[in-house]
Amino acid sequence: MSGVWVVLEERNGKIGRISWEAVAAGQKLGAQLGLSVGAILPGADTEALANEAATKAIAKVVRLEHALVGAYTADAFSLALEQFVRQEQPDYLVFPHTYQVRDYAPALAARLGQVLIGDVTAIGDGPVFTRQLMQGRLNGEYKHAGGGTCFVSVQSGAFRADQIESGSAIVETFTPTIEASQIRTKPGEPFRGSAQTVDLGSAQLIVSVGRGIKEADNLPMVQELAAALGAEIAASRPICDNGWLPIERQVGSSGQTVAPKLYLAVGISGAIQHLVGMKGSQCVVAINKDPEAPIFEVADYGIVGDLFEVVPALTEAVKAAKQ
Amino acid sequence: MKMMVAIKQVPQRDVQVRIDATGKWIEESDLQWALNESDAYALEEALQLKEKHGGEVVVISAGPERVGSTIREALAKGADRAIHVDCDPGNLDVLGVARLLAAAIKSESPDLTLTGLQSDDLGYGQTGVILAELMGLAHATLILHVDKTDQGLMLKRELEEGWFQTIELPLPAVLTIQSGGNKLRYATLMGIKKAKTKEVRRVTAQDLGAPSTPAVTLERIAAPQKQKSTQMLGGSAKEAAAALAEKLKFEARVL
Amino acid sequence: MTILLPVLAEPQHFTVAEQVLFAVLAVASGWLFWRRFGPILKKILASKRDPGFRLFPLGKRVWDFVWEVLCQAKVIRQRPLPGLAHAFVFWGFCAFALVTLNHCAVGLGIGFLHPDGAVGRFYFYLAAAFALACAVGIAGLFVRRFLVRPRWLGAKLSWESGFIALLIFLLMVTYLGAFFVSHADPAARVLWWVHTLCLLVFLPIIPHTKHLHLVLSPGTVFLSRGGFSKIPPLAGDEDFGLVAGTDLTQLASLQAYSCVECGRCTEHCPAANTGKVLNPKEVVLGLRSYLNELGPGSAETLLGKYNSQEAVFQCTTCGSCEFQCPVGIEHLPILIGLRRGAVNTGAWEDDHGAKLFLALERGSNALGMSATERDKFVQKLELPIFDGTQEYCLWLGCMGGYDPKGREIIADFVRVMRYLGTSFGVLRKEKCTGDPVRRLGNDLAFQQLAEANLETMAQNKVKKIVSICPHCVRTIQEDWKEYGTPPEIEHHSEFLARHLSQLPSIENNETIVFHDPCYLGRYRDVYDEPRAVVRASGTLVEAARHGERSFCCGAGGGLAFLGEETGERVSLVRAKELVETGATTVGTACPFCNSMFRDALASKGEGAPQLLDLAQLMARALPDSTNAMNN
Repeated sequence: MSGVWVVLEERNGKIGRISWEAVAAGQKLGAQLGLSVGAILPGADTEALANEAATKAIAKVVRLEHALVGAYTADAFSLALEQFVRQEQPDYLVFPHTYQVRDYAPALAARLGQVLIGDVTAIGDGPVFTRQLMQGRLNGEYKHAGGGTCFVSVQSGAFRADQIESGSAIVETFTPTIEASQIRTKPGEPFRGSAQTVDLGSAQLIVSVGRGIKEADNLPMVQELAAALGAEIAASRPICDNGWLPIERQVGSSGQTVAPKLYLAVGISGAIQHLVGMKGSQCVVAINKDPEAPIFEVADYGIVGDLFEVVPALTEAVKAAKQ
Repeated sequence: MKMMVAIKQVPQRDVQVRIDATGKWIEESDLQWALNESDAYALEEALQLKEKHGGEVVVISAGPERVGSTIREALAKGADRAIHVDCDPGNLDVLGVARLLAAAIKSESPDLTLTGLQSDDLGYGQTGVILAELMGLAHATLILHVDKTDQGLMLKRELEEGWFQTIELPLPAVLTIQSGGNKLRYATLMGIKKAKTKEVRRVTAQDLGAPSTPAVTLERIAAPQKQKSTQMLGGSAKEAAAALAEKLKFEARVL
Repeated sequence: MTILLPVLAEPQHFTVAEQVLFAVLAVASGWLFWRRFGPILKKILASKRDPGFRLFPLGKRVWDFVWEVLCQAKVIRQRPLPGLAHAFVFWGFCAFALVTLNHCAVGLGIGFLHPDGAVGRFYFYLAAAFALACAVGIAGLFVRRFLVRPRWLGAKLSWESGFIALLIFLLMVTYLGAFFVSHADPAARVLWWVHTLCLLVFLPIIPHTKHLHLVLSPGTVFLSRGGFSKIPPLAGDEDFGLVAGTDLTQLASLQAYSCVECGRCTEHCPAANTGKVLNPKEVVLGLRSYLNELGPGSAETLLGKYNSQEAVFQCTTCGSCEFQCPVGIEHLPILIGLRRGAVNTGAWEDDHGAKLFLALERGSNALGMSATERDKFVQKLELPIFDGTQEYCLWLGCMGGYDPKGREIIADFVRVMRYLGTSFGVLRKEKCTGDPVRRLGNDLAFQQLAEANLETMAQNKVKKIVSICPHCVRTIQEDWKEYGTPPEIEHHSEFLARHLSQLPSIENNETIVFHDPCYLGRYRDVYDEPRAVVRASGTLVEAARHGERSFCCGAGGGLAFLGEETGERVSLVRAKELVETGATTVGTACPFCNSMFRDALASKGEGAPQLLDLAQLMARALPDSTNAMNN
């Protein structure tokens, strides 16, 4: 068996950060078990990207090259990787846990009689793979039983991409055999949700503003923060009642219910009518000058302070962090 | 269009869970159970397709006797009949459960099989995709909207970071449905009364074939070290802001 | 010396032709009356029987009949001047019973009350006094309807009402006029015939107008369901509430036909007063129109041509309508019945409503919060867990368990109980009592919640409950009875009032306006206890509409969980009224009222009165209070 192989994912002509995190995970596994680490890059015309991958401290980069693997389809990727796996027989096949991987890796694993251990947050001795259960309330430790390749996908941010050492790897090409007739799905071009309607319900990042903002003139400061984060703007009811923001941006029992990855509440006290609209948020940050404000009870991170100072400072800090 | 919806009964999200004596699973004795959330959306999508195009909606669920109440809830919401695969999921991995479901579904030959994107308890998000593989059918995941066309289906799929994509695929197919695409209907008294007369066919794991040994095992479960409490970030505005940006990037991972 | 007093003229010697004519006209009038009334009676009797209706015990029914019908108590009390005028018209009718009988007998030559005899003279004078009062009364009511034109009577002028007023007036005038002519005077005959024609024209008019209440309403009052806002149980597997005509019960049909169109229900309705579509009078009349056109056997939905789903879901179930109705119409079972018909069949599609129902399907509380939040709160306050040994079970409820303001109220009430040394505990697990889904008509959700809670209560051996929320109190005490035997329960205002002597009171300059919650006042008849508590904490002032007349805060009927209102916000209207009293403090006894007024008062800015629950008022006087006892 041929060691640890990491499947890289190309997005918009680049290898995304999450793929490098998978490489970091692969390297950890390889070091733990004394196995070599390689990378697989499915795609078409991936020479430049493969060379970039070859600058990492791994043994080999294999370009899984075929015209039909240029655009993602579950069938093409599964067929291509299946052929690679049958030939190379990896001990471990490590993926980044992306929407794309969730779409094909389980099928690929099942085809080979395996089960993907998905969305792993830690790798321990054994190896033992940790993943979250019950929406993060518990952790489960998994082991691969039996022989064959072990399929693993790693959660975004669980491993640090900036910790990968540099090196120099050999680049090879593997050409799978795929017929066009084997591809059953026809994907269209990606598009954004319509710009006119405000769809807070599907927004991933939200900055929400409340009565602490005092005047409509102070809104641009918060809008800048939202822009820096790439977030949508929302508000508690009094702001919309005053007409400072349109009613579609109201979050609460008589407005929208949202469940974003990040909900940043600026100058919001946290009355129940507001809380019920955002309690499904994964990460809640609250900035309020009142340490007793109920919003802090549901916040993961809180800053008790003057929002007129904190918000601009945060905008700068976010811009810096994103570089 | 004949549709099958694979649903799972999971512990209610609302309540605290405790680890049981073996350390391998949660204490089930005083749990309350509910229909898995994304499966509810899958059911809703199927019911809406039936309202638009006619046909039949059959729900299928694998699990012990207690899943009967969730099956009845699905029937109350409008499914026509149900299949209960009576088994103990504790001894099976996701591939093992999928094999049982696939065997039962194959005998029904549906045009479309739908299931939720992932379960609220184990959260693999793989059952639907594996079902497609085992049944040799085309599939798509993270679906928000389904339209029937002459050639098959036109789907709206969710991508990362607020992007979407359309996908066309032929029938028969398997779809995993993302939460939030539709408005869920509530269970009504009329629905529950009607459900009493709808067929629930019970099959056992033995009827569907010999169980396979799991490829992956859950060795133990534990509470995560970091409890969910509010981290208050102090210092000057600038210091707190910088600390927050760091947390957002590396802990919350939202930047 | 005998004083010659006028004597009622009795026309002498009707010819046979006249007698025959009279008989024929009388029969025709009676026949016409029956032709119109018969079908209505048939429709009422053809309606479904009321499940759970019990005629006995008769005591209360007789009392209500005497008080409300004979003494016209509600009629007068709720609208004094017009009410009194109507009372005189009614009493006039009663007094005239024998007069009218005798009048008809005279027409057939067999008059039995001799106007010259002692009995006759006495009775006729008595009747004359009533006739005078009646004439004045009906004239006054005529002026009110046609000149003053209060908006509750509707925008359109009712000519039929005017005509009937004229007939009644003529009846009285022709009667009184007969005292001023002699028996032999031809004028006596004329008066007699005019009086007779008025009677005979009046009779057949009754069934197709609101004057049908003359015939029906005494029965309606006597046969009422009993209780207040008493929701009937569903009967069998096919009953989903008021879906179609076939679901209308005999009582509902009777009530629909009894409506006098006085508009008292609408006058006090918070929805009708804030620009909503809902108008309680129109809901009842809508049922009547439905019955007239389609009848009780129709399968067409009740929410359609004559009543709208939109209107019916704007009701806060405050009960002002049912409370006021002088003819015994029970609006709330009708409104909630119509909601049941829509919700139990899935016909009601409302985003917020569905969200509420789904939250209670999958979780424990109406707010959709995780039960662990309540656990954290219980731990934070170090509340003892109820284990069957304590005297009281303190019910937190959804607001007390999850709402920040509700939690403050609980915290203060707990301080009071600890000060008093009361033994209490809280249940480890609570589910919503089901009040919002009960009032919205979701019987499936309500049954599941009631049964689960009753079982928890039984398992934990709960005997006595105290709660800060009148909705919880009502639902536990009354509505849960449908599924079992609930423990005793009281509202914290009743508890506090009983212990006032043991609690320290405050001396201050505060003026406190107490807002009567609908579910504590009209629903539970508790008005004095909260006021006793308020008086121990400051000076009580009353809002213009207080007590039984208290104007709803807008949260009831499940509306606190539904989306934005149309028209003016009920809570703002009420808040304005409370602020106008000039009080420094608004006192509430319900966490929903408190929640509704919080935003409304905050929008008034710096000068707004403070908003405190009764528990908070009492807790401030306690020794370990962090609030200083100064103003």
